Amino acid sequence: MNHRPFEDWLLEDQPLTPEQKRELQSHLRTCATCAAIAESNLALHSARMVSPAAGFVDRFQTRLIAQRKATRIRQIIGTLVLVIGGLGLIYWLVGPFVQEAMRSPADWITAAVGYFLFVLTSIQTLSEVSFILVRVIQTFISPLGWLVLISIFGGLGLIWTVSITRFSRLLQGV
Amino acid sequence: MNDEMAWVIRAQQGNEEAFTNLVEAYQTHVYNLCYRMLGEPELAEDAAQETFLRAFQHLHRYDSKRPFATWLLSIAAHYCIDRLRRRKFSIISIDDDEDDGGFELPDADAPNPESEMIHGEQRTRMQGMLKHLDSVDRAAIVLRYWNDCSEAEIAETLHLTVSAVKSRLHRARRELAGLWQEESPLSKPERRPHESPAF
Repeated sequence: MNHRPFEDWLLEDQPLTPEQKRELQSHLRTCATCAAIAESNLALHSARMVSPAAGFVDRFQTRLIAQRKATRIRQIIGTLVLVIGGLGLIYWLVGPFVQEAMRSPADWITAAVGYFLFVLTSIQTLSEVSFILVRVIQTFISPLGWLVLISIFGGLGLIWTVSITRFSRLLQGV
Repeated sequence: MNDEMAWVIRAQQGNEEAFTNLVEAYQTHVYNLCYRMLGEPELAEDAAQETFLRAFQHLHRYDSKRPFATWLLSIAAHYCIDRLRRRKFSIISIDDDEDDGGFELPDADAPNPESEMIHGEQRTRMQGMLKHLDSVDRAAIVLRYWNDCSEAEIAETLHLTVSAVKSRLHRARRELAGLWQEESPLSKPERRPHESPAF
């Protein structure tokens, strides 16, 4: 038999039949290349595990603690940088306006009070208008109509509440 | 559910003691892979520690359908491959537990002091030769022969196809045999005059 199958058997490193083993054995006596493959295969098959030095688990725990500490420090530094950066940005954006306002406080206090009064009067006007509207509409709609309208809105509200509750439960995976 | 799976689940829930059990169970496998890959005990220790740290940090990503050992060895192998690619290592490697090799296809199970000595010498030589292999080929060889992984397991660990693993193992064995032959000129059998050359 020629060299090729023996080399393939060895390089594939698959189990051989007793007959194949015998043939290979006799080939190995004459073929240096195959002998080297067989020898290196044998060395690989006799491979042994190397264990770490004693106390590996303890060293791991120490390293884990040190790493956690480093992570915490990094997080604190990161948060500080973010906060300082954010404050700096706010100061850069709002600073000129604040300085301006501080120079003439009477102006902005007057503007704020004016705005507050505007909101108050608007609310008052709106409530008066709606009160008049209700009184006008009341004359057009019968008591039965009111009952039907209240029932419809009540039903729609109930459907809406149930739907929202179910949908939120679904999202939470309950 | 076996102990290992229970530890993994508990560790995923943040139980450090459970993860410590996993470290204890796999320290030799991980350290051995790192040592065979990097060739130096200090580097292997550092790589093995880093492997467990990474495993602990990314435990939530572990898919329990896969064997835990494969996932862990995958982290170790990729870490070592990465380190080998970034740095050129000079591997000085003599196993503490290994002793000192002629040739015949001997019975690997035979309790013979002489064959033990021969095997020890062969192992030492083999470790020295591993450094000549490409990092991925080396990982495949270590996983195959030291960790007894099947080709499918190696493929999963190294993120390769099974056929790629087969060809890498084939190539690595050929390369190792070439190195073996180079290092032992005296072990070459003499060809008889009437015999034809092998090739």
